[in-house]
Amino acid sequence: MKIVVLIKSVPDTASIFKVAEDNKFVVIGNPKFIMSPYDEYALEEAIKVKESVSGEVVVVSFGDENALEVMRTALAVGADSAILVENSDADSFTGKGVSKVLAAVIKTLSPNIIFAGKQAVDDDGCQVPERVAEILGISHASAVTRFELQGLTAEADREVEGGYCTMEITFPALCTVEKGINTPRYPTLPNIMKAKRKEIRKMTLEELNLSADDVRPGLTVNSISLPRQERLLKKLEGEIGAQVKQLTSILREEKIGL
Amino acid sequence: MDFSWSDDQLNLKESAIKFAKKELNNQLIQRDQRGVFSRELWEKCADFGVQGMAFPEKYGGINADILTTMLVMEGLGYGCKDNGLIFGINAQMWSVQMPILRFGSDAQKSKYLPNLCSGKWIGGHGMTEPDSGSDAFSLRTSAKLKNGCYILNGTKTFVTNAPEANVFLVFATVDKKLGFMGVTGFIIEKDFPGFHVGKPIEKMGLRTNNMAELILEDCEVPVENRLGEVGSGAAVFNDSMEWERSCILASNLGGMERQLEMCINYAKERKQFNKPIGKFQAVANKIVDMKVRLETSRQILYKVAWLKKTESQAVMDAAIAKLYLSEAWVKSCLDAIQIHGGYGFTTEFEVERDLRDSIGGTLYSGTSEIQQNIIAHQLGL
Repeated sequence: MKIVVLIKSVPDTASIFKVAEDNKFVVIGNPKFIMSPYDEYALEEAIKVKESVSGEVVVVSFGDENALEVMRTALAVGADSAILVENSDADSFTGKGVSKVLAAVIKTLSPNIIFAGKQAVDDDGCQVPERVAEILGISHASAVTRFELQGLTAEADREVEGGYCTMEITFPALCTVEKGINTPRYPTLPNIMKAKRKEIRKMTLEELNLSADDVRPGLTVNSISLPRQERLLKKLEGEIGAQVKQLTSILREEKIGL
Repeated sequence: MDFSWSDDQLNLKESAIKFAKKELNNQLIQRDQRGVFSRELWEKCADFGVQGMAFPEKYGGINADILTTMLVMEGLGYGCKDNGLIFGINAQMWSVQMPILRFGSDAQKSKYLPNLCSGKWIGGHGMTEPDSGSDAFSLRTSAKLKNGCYILNGTKTFVTNAPEANVFLVFATVDKKLGFMGVTGFIIEKDFPGFHVGKPIEKMGLRTNNMAELILEDCEVPVENRLGEVGSGAAVFNDSMEWERSCILASNLGGMERQLEMCINYAKERKQFNKPIGKFQAVANKIVDMKVRLETSRQILYKVAWLKKTESQAVMDAAIAKLYLSEAWVKSCLDAIQIHGGYGFTTEFEVERDLRDSIGGTLYSGTSEIQQNIIAHQLGL
């Protein structure tokens, strides 16, 4: 079984973010990059499948050199090999371009199954894996909360309003995973050391026969703004008994303490 | 002088912090109160690779150099508040695994190191006796060769990990008249005939690690379990103490950093007389002292680790590291409590446990006074 995992290097959520002066970019104060948390679940699911049958896990990413450390982590966690399509301008690509790049890499690998996080936590685009499946002409199941291999097919659950939808998946297929599908393992010290010996293959857009036109963004960012932070002050009035009533009703409404 | 760490080294430290924070702090207040050792956490550390850090791959280790190992242990101490667990692992690594690696036969290394690195076995070190502590080589435990077996008789005390350990490095004398020249090391498995472990000894700190007495009553030890030559025990012991004194407190550096951050945060948030208490010099100066102790401890530790990496003798530097780091840890724990005021005295704030844990550092592997004696002796006094 050949399994591909799509991973994305994203700024650590503990980083300091600022909107750039032109309101079109985000400036990161103390850049530190991590694997997008949903991708950690995808990688764990891939390794679990590999451990249940024989196979190999290849992680694929598109990004700048910051992605290298994240790919190294993926190798330390248990991926067998890694391919990085390196582009210093990767940040400016939109879902359309990124999915074309990733699909071009995957075509060279012919995997049985592709796992990806349901979304990346930096831009929350929620479209790259689905676009990849579309380009490859394979089926996809999104936001999967359970994945079980059953011979040549797999059964997967997706949460729907008030219940679950159970699907049968025929390979090749792509699954995006929801958090909670598993508990991602952490890289152990021996595996971190061993990962240093594993090769990260670097590819360029040219090697994938992709031109600038192929990956041109289909949309333009007009502006970026921070969410408005509101501090709501409510002053309680009246007798102490009435104030207590008001307070308990606010707490109930806001579901504070529940 | 290059003080920079490589990305790989920092990555290992970062991973150790994440692992420790996530896996090692559960139910710590309760475990400390009840004095409970967790085999599960010990094995988690082994699976993560802690016990094998500085040991060759062929024995199940990962062959990291000693400076990298110190950095990872520092990270572990930062993320893990369970000082007892980390202390027990350190005691095994430096005073059981390291002497077996450095003085053991191929058969001994192949038999014991993989089990200790993997966490399947736990190791203890038996030197101290009820009547010989600082004067270690005046030990009374005897070893007599009889019918191809050594017969050991005596009692060892304050043996870290003893209640749970599977294998022990025990020192005995083949002839008391020979003084330190008669001291010899033996590797004893817990199932050897005549070997008994006493009840765990209650103690004020490091309560999540157990220690006990070892009782040797005509304990039969095969000749092949002698560690090194007859009479080489003093050299083995001194070497293992040099490693232990150099490295055992690395995790406390992490603890000191964790504690410093906690105190800074508290001093910024806690307001008295309409301003954060950190704005009062009496409080700020204590935090400054903690920071200075942390940084000086760092330089001392890295220096001795660098010396050990270069295979240099480090008798004096090991004693300085042991003396300075252990005393600095106690002083910073006291400052941390004082900065937290009454809250620091409570169990819930978890600073009082650090203080109780820190005291042991001034006693094990040679008291602070013995370290001072070693340094004085090295200075020709």
